[in-house]
Amino acid sequence: MLIKLLKAEWIKLVHRPMTKTLLLIFLLMTALILSLYFVVVGLALGSFGFQVALFNPVQIEQYRLQLSFPGMFGAILGQVNGIGGICAIIITAGAIGSEYNWGTLRAQLARQPNRAMYLTAKLIAIMLLLLIAILLAQALGLVLAFVFGGLLGSVGSVNAGDLINLPIAILRSLYVLLPYVLFTAACSIFGRSVLAGTAGGMIFLTTDLVLGGLSFLPNTDGLLAFVYSLLVQQNINSLVVRNAYSFGLDPSIALSRFLDLAILPSQLQAVIVIAVYCLSFGATAYYWFLKRDLTGAA
Amino acid sequence: MPNVIETHKLSKRFGQRIAVDSLDLQVAAGEIYGFLGPNGAGKTTTIAMLLALVKPTSGQAFVLGYDIQKNASEALQGVGAMVEAPAFYPYLSGWDNLRVFASAAGLPNSAIERALSMVDLSTRAKDKFRTYSQGMKQRLGIAAALLHDPKLIILDEPTNGLDPAGTVELRELIRSLAADGRTVFISSHLLHEVEHICSRVAILKSGKIVREGAVAELLKRDQGLLLDLASEHERAAQLLRQLAWVADVRVVGKQLEVEAPSERAAELNMFLAQQGIAVSGIRARESSLEELFLELTQTTS
Repeated sequence: MLIKLLKAEWIKLVHRPMTKTLLLIFLLMTALILSLYFVVVGLALGSFGFQVALFNPVQIEQYRLQLSFPGMFGAILGQVNGIGGICAIIITAGAIGSEYNWGTLRAQLARQPNRAMYLTAKLIAIMLLLLIAILLAQALGLVLAFVFGGLLGSVGSVNAGDLINLPIAILRSLYVLLPYVLFTAACSIFGRSVLAGTAGGMIFLTTDLVLGGLSFLPNTDGLLAFVYSLLVQQNINSLVVRNAYSFGLDPSIALSRFLDLAILPSQLQAVIVIAVYCLSFGATAYYWFLKRDLTGAA
Repeated sequence: MPNVIETHKLSKRFGQRIAVDSLDLQVAAGEIYGFLGPNGAGKTTTIAMLLALVKPTSGQAFVLGYDIQKNASEALQGVGAMVEAPAFYPYLSGWDNLRVFASAAGLPNSAIERALSMVDLSTRAKDKFRTYSQGMKQRLGIAAALLHDPKLIILDEPTNGLDPAGTVELRELIRSLAADGRTVFISSHLLHEVEHICSRVAILKSGKIVREGAVAELLKRDQGLLLDLASEHERAAQLLRQLAWVADVRVVGKQLEVEAPSERAAELNMFLAQQGIAVSGIRARESSLEELFLELTQTTS
């Protein structure tokens, strides 16, 4: 039953113009950001015939590593957890909220009343789509590493350890997208619309970023630091930064000194805390979806 | 005949408003059943409860023998439904929209072809749903309901947006579905259509059934005679009121509406002729379902 529903969800998702547009935007934005890194590194190294150092040499080296192997893998996954998060919110809100807006949810559930199965199939389809987006972004990264790395004089190399790390890192990236997907799903179901889902997801993302700005708190002692370490953003950062480290990058140099594994929660804590957030968001989404009447289209 | 739909004291309350009030409904297998009522009477809420989309506040509903609250999956396997407006994915073609439903039910492409040809939509199957006319959308909705060859078909306002030819085609389609042994449950406000195709109807008002029965029986109750007179309408009315078997007489323009058994038309004609009143025409008056509907929904509290 789940496989049949998944097939139906997949047809809806992949044929949707919004899905293709968001995927294209994600890939273009990723390419654009890496192109900017290339310009910054190229200017610093004098690759364009003149030298302009916009950052210190240690930072420039970090940017250069992101334009060659294996750093490119980490750079791409870094974008997945940035721009990809926004795309995941929009895709989820669209996939769930539109069913209310168009009235198609009633038509679907009048044939298949197992609502838990229906929602599960929908969420799996969304996560599968996000996985495919990550794989396509990695394919784009391959091309960019050859082009930019080649132009800067070093494409780098990939060893067996990198190839083992890659699927693990991709799973980490997907895992940190899950709270956004589930929170957006809950908002779409509660508000019975795309707008409610998008707004909820974006507010969650923004709140996350604002709280991330309080990153001096881990340096304080006691309860405040403990509470801060339980915020979803800190734990997401822990896994995202681990992805970067596994491909030789150090975001504490390139981005922020607070993105340091020494001050971020451990991997075990991050996995558990994110799981708790996912369970609470998911349970809320399922509760509303299962319990509420499906009255007329919104 | 076993009942395909059966409800016992089925009720739904939204806050303070009672949408459906202790509804007892029985629809037998093979029937074409009309479910009538003005807007807000509770028709769609009842259908939504029969399809497990809305949970009843109290009471029970059985569909194809299954308690819809406990065994919705088993019950709905044999049900094809179109609730309110036909709802589909605008960016998908008619074919792909049906493929979504077919995939979820594990049906082959041949089921899609069959359903599309039944509603005469095969030639536009590859066009996007958003480009369809209202009538085509309606037909796609019916195709989706027929996709898995259901035993019970529930159609909510199926003739909405259909042109006269499409309405006639749908009427024939519904008849052929019933002839194949399927049960069709139609909610509609097009009373003329319902009168022509339904074997039984229920008229709903404020969540309650105010009249239920075979269409022919319901219409027979309001039989009478219509008399065309050139003159002396008031005198004729006074004379007729004196007859024991005439219940009432009304003067409507140049006609008299006489509430009397239609088989006494000749007797009535002779009586007026003896009184020197010429009758230029006389015929049986049968009230239409529309008249009955308006009478019941406007006056019954």
